[in-house]
Amino acid sequence: MIKVLNGGIEIVVEDWPGRVGYMGLGMSPSGALDNLALQLGNIIVGNDPGEAGIEITAGYCSFEFTEDRVICLTGTDMSATVNGKPVPVWEAFKVYEGDQLQFGHFADQGFRAYILIAGGIDVPLYLESKSTCLFGAYGGFEGRKLKPGDELMGGEVADQDALIGRKLNPQYMPEYKNTWDVRLIVGPASVPDYVTEEGMDYLFSHEHKVRHDSNRSGYRLEELPSFFFARENGGEGGDHPSNWIESGYNMLGAVNINGNFPTLLIGDGPTFGGLMCSANIIYADLWKIGQTIPGRDKIRFIQTTQEEAKKARIQQLQMLKKPDLVM
Amino acid sequence: MGKYDVIISSLPASDCRKEIFFRQAGDGFLQVEYGKIPTVELMDSFRMLAVDAEIRKMDIPGLIETLPGVRTNLIHFDPLVTDYKGLISYLTEAENKIQSVDDMVIDSRIITLPMTFEDSKTKSAIKLYEKSVRKDAPNDMGGYNLEYTALCNGCTVQDIKDMVMGTYWYNSGCGFYPGNAFWWPMDPRCKICVPKANPPRTWTPEGAVGIGGVSLCTYPSDSGGGNQLFGRTIPVIQMKMVHPQYKESPFLYKRYGDRIRFREVEEDELNEICDMVNNGTGYEYEIEEGRIVVKDYLEFINSEEVKTGAADLVRRQQEASKIIPRV
Repeated sequence: MIKVLNGGIEIVVEDWPGRVGYMGLGMSPSGALDNLALQLGNIIVGNDPGEAGIEITAGYCSFEFTEDRVICLTGTDMSATVNGKPVPVWEAFKVYEGDQLQFGHFADQGFRAYILIAGGIDVPLYLESKSTCLFGAYGGFEGRKLKPGDELMGGEVADQDALIGRKLNPQYMPEYKNTWDVRLIVGPASVPDYVTEEGMDYLFSHEHKVRHDSNRSGYRLEELPSFFFARENGGEGGDHPSNWIESGYNMLGAVNINGNFPTLLIGDGPTFGGLMCSANIIYADLWKIGQTIPGRDKIRFIQTTQEEAKKARIQQLQMLKKPDLVM
Repeated sequence: MGKYDVIISSLPASDCRKEIFFRQAGDGFLQVEYGKIPTVELMDSFRMLAVDAEIRKMDIPGLIETLPGVRTNLIHFDPLVTDYKGLISYLTEAENKIQSVDDMVIDSRIITLPMTFEDSKTKSAIKLYEKSVRKDAPNDMGGYNLEYTALCNGCTVQDIKDMVMGTYWYNSGCGFYPGNAFWWPMDPRCKICVPKANPPRTWTPEGAVGIGGVSLCTYPSDSGGGNQLFGRTIPVIQMKMVHPQYKESPFLYKRYGDRIRFREVEEDELNEICDMVNNGTGYEYEIEEGRIVVKDYLEFINSEEVKTGAADLVRRQQEASKIIPRV
């Protein structure tokens, strides 16, 4: 159905919410790094919101279609063309056998784009998910990123022509930025026993640049000042004050303190380890991390509570069900 | 309550348990923690696993999964179904069902793993770390981590090897990467303690064996990592599930409760075994069924000889910590 001509930087099959419930086996949920763009695109082409799509990181890739299909592109605008002619983002259109879809580079804002296909992608479910875990080399398409020559099959689709022209109501368009506001719940390693109050104030009052070595297993931020730490050392967890006795990690957004460097645990990363987690991105804001540009964008953290996080989840779920979401 | 407080609730200590803390740990995450001062004591793990078994039996609404560690349990829940308060009342009920664990008998297999100290592959990982991550890493003295590990414990390289070989290592719960377990020494006289690499390695070979803090790990696959390495063992996962050992599960270790011990072999023999596991059906893993009788374990760790030996090691570690180069 869709064949890879040029694999670009990194293209993978991901769904949402990924492989949930296996962290105790060391298996993180994986899933689309911008789950909002994936879900919105699926809704536009009439799929279940969590159906698998193709996640494109940073662009520079191309595809050929081996059958006629309705598709939709979401996420950042990578100046995609079909047979050299520009095609829209956030809107369903039809491609025909032999058509070539080409992506340029990522735009000024946003880092990932998604291809959603009417009928979905037919890759085997592994532990109830179609998501690829790149680190573990399982799930998705042969447990790896796609390369030239790979062909993905589409799922069953009925009356797809009726989907042509469906597009996202602009009022629900996610806003992409270069400085992202991300809400955090603090814990479990917090003030006063692990982090100083000044240290936590620093976390919430500074803009944190995303480092260039960020990827699907973790988004790395710039160094924290040493006054962040309330302890001299990590005791039996290890010498550095970020070390602690091994415990489970919230792989859905923990701010993991890796020596002096905070790493946001998302996607394919580790589910357990000996470095403390001091705060956590709320579920409704996870998608923003997938769109931050490594080496360029900044993140501002805003403290919130579990109650507020729950409200934000509900709001997002309600948005995805709005009757005027798609026009 | 301070603005960064994370302890939501606690249960007082009793004759049969330490004080228990419930810490917020993210949007949909709660951490249960035993004791105010973080230490590695296997009695905590025995209790944690007994309580975890109760939690799993209870059919708690909104519970997604649990990640037990040696002194913590990370509870992943759906905040749209339950909240901290509801969850804590179930967790308290589970805690109250378990009285003393002193009379418990725990099923625990013994797996004997062939291991080579100072093998060539692990050494090449350390070379790579020096070359591409950190040139002046103090833990790489002499081109390997063993000398630094000995220095941190106030003993010789041979003493470190004897400690690794001289105890069973017990798994308090899997996690981190697929098939990985966290191993702790059953004999407190072998509680080697060493800082984790800072920053972590970008590459560690499959099968590498190392210690970070006081936790030992047998790396399931090529990966990053922060443990100080001393040798290499045979595969402990096989995702393709071809070798007879992996017919039922891709992972050698059970989710928790196994014990391992090491048998020293030459590198040629180790490579032959790895080859048989990876490319054939030869080699039978050395696995015995077994049990941990907690009463016997308590008698052992409370014997004069063990207490004196353990205290001596702690004293040597404290002396060493004054002089070791920090990572």
